Amino acid sequence: MSTVTRETRLNAAFVKLADTLTDDYDIVDLLHTLVEECTAIFDIQAGGLMLADSGGRLQLVASTSERADLVEIMQLNAGKGPCVDCFETGLPVAIADIAKSGERWADFRDEALKQGFRSIYATPLKLRGQTIGTLNLLSATVGELNARDALAAQALSDVATIGILQERLIKERGIVADQLQRALDSRVLIEQAKGVLSESASINVDEAFSAMRAYARGHNLRLHDVAEGIVGRTVTIVLHTSD
Amino acid sequence: MAPREVLDPSGQDAYRSGSLSAPFVSGLSITGASICVTMGNRVQSTISASDPLAAQIDELQYVLGEGPHWDALRSGKPVLTPDIRANVNTGWPMLFAALIELDLGALFSFPLRMGAVTVGVADLYRTTPGDLNEREHATAISLARATAPRALHVATALARDDEPVKPGLVAELRREVHQATGMILVQLNVDATEAFLRLKAYSFSSGISIQDIAKDVVQRRLNFRDLPE
Repeated sequence: MSTVTRETRLNAAFVKLADTLTDDYDIVDLLHTLVEECTAIFDIQAGGLMLADSGGRLQLVASTSERADLVEIMQLNAGKGPCVDCFETGLPVAIADIAKSGERWADFRDEALKQGFRSIYATPLKLRGQTIGTLNLLSATVGELNARDALAAQALSDVATIGILQERLIKERGIVADQLQRALDSRVLIEQAKGVLSESASINVDEAFSAMRAYARGHNLRLHDVAEGIVGRTVTIVLHTSD
Repeated sequence: MAPREVLDPSGQDAYRSGSLSAPFVSGLSITGASICVTMGNRVQSTISASDPLAAQIDELQYVLGEGPHWDALRSGKPVLTPDIRANVNTGWPMLFAALIELDLGALFSFPLRMGAVTVGVADLYRTTPGDLNEREHATAISLARATAPRALHVATALARDDEPVKPGLVAELRREVHQATGMILVQLNVDATEAFLRLKAYSFSSGISIQDIAKDVVQRRLNFRDLPE
């Protein structure tokens, strides 16, 4: 990507993220935007964002695809993978060649390689020194994320962290925990809604997410509220099949 | 009368892996708390009580069949009674008469939720009347959400006579479980809470784990419409 195009794209990404920080923003939608922008700007093929739950375990909250195979890599990573190191140290972790990562994270390594990913970069989401999650970027080629991209990824995730935590309003640590729990619970609701939509519209669960998100945008609604409506059977999404 | 299991009738918190009511008591301006999980077939399992009075309040609501505990369970929303004495015209006449005898000030019931599913209730009480302020209300909701999967795990383990694992080791339910809940609610035309109860019930009766059943549902190998009542 040329310098001009890249800078333009990066600026647009910041604006897009910042725009999402209106009164009506949706946490999960914001995080999805973040991982999508990263795949568009950087030389990576997939991304996933995890937040820590109240037990200190990483949970996948947003990813560039809802497909079960990518989710599986992310979840293996969350259990035992580079992102755990990133989370525990609060420092970025770069694995330039997953094939040479040894036995530390054997399951994650095998699944990632099987799906064609050769390198991963995990960057922490931090607020006032506290690490609340990680952003994980997967690439199909061996090599490290270059320094410029690493800085930009960190900056983008800082904007997202603000979105999660509304930093300017935070006075106590308790609020951090509450906001994280809300994001995690929102994800559960979205999964339930995916199931409802998948069954009632006879589509796959991964297609269901795109349908919900498109509906939310088209009707200027929060993703969370659409999910709630779908599960409560007050919202029906009509899907148009294209030939 | 629907069957019920109480972990320890003395009210002492005998939950072997740690107290689930403790974070509520330490994090909020309340005197005590009890945690209850719905097991299906109208079975409720009280898995934690911070003190004998908490256990007694829980027992009263259960025996009388009325109270904020039930309203919170049914509605999936918190039910707040900051001043029991001020509430003369309520849907819980017998309960309030009994509570006033106990010299109670306030009662707050917070449903334990996972998304749209209500898995149980946290019943909080205070001997003096007064609201939970906005911050505390948010904390209570957050605690209730965080407690839901652990409470579920404990109740399920106890029902199977297993040793519940330490709270820190409880695995989050995988996405398939939530997706399956959504699919089942369409298949059976019930709400999310009922759908999840049916999933749990089938797991219990078949001996197959919730995660495995969920996988079968999501991959369309199992449709709950095809199961016997």
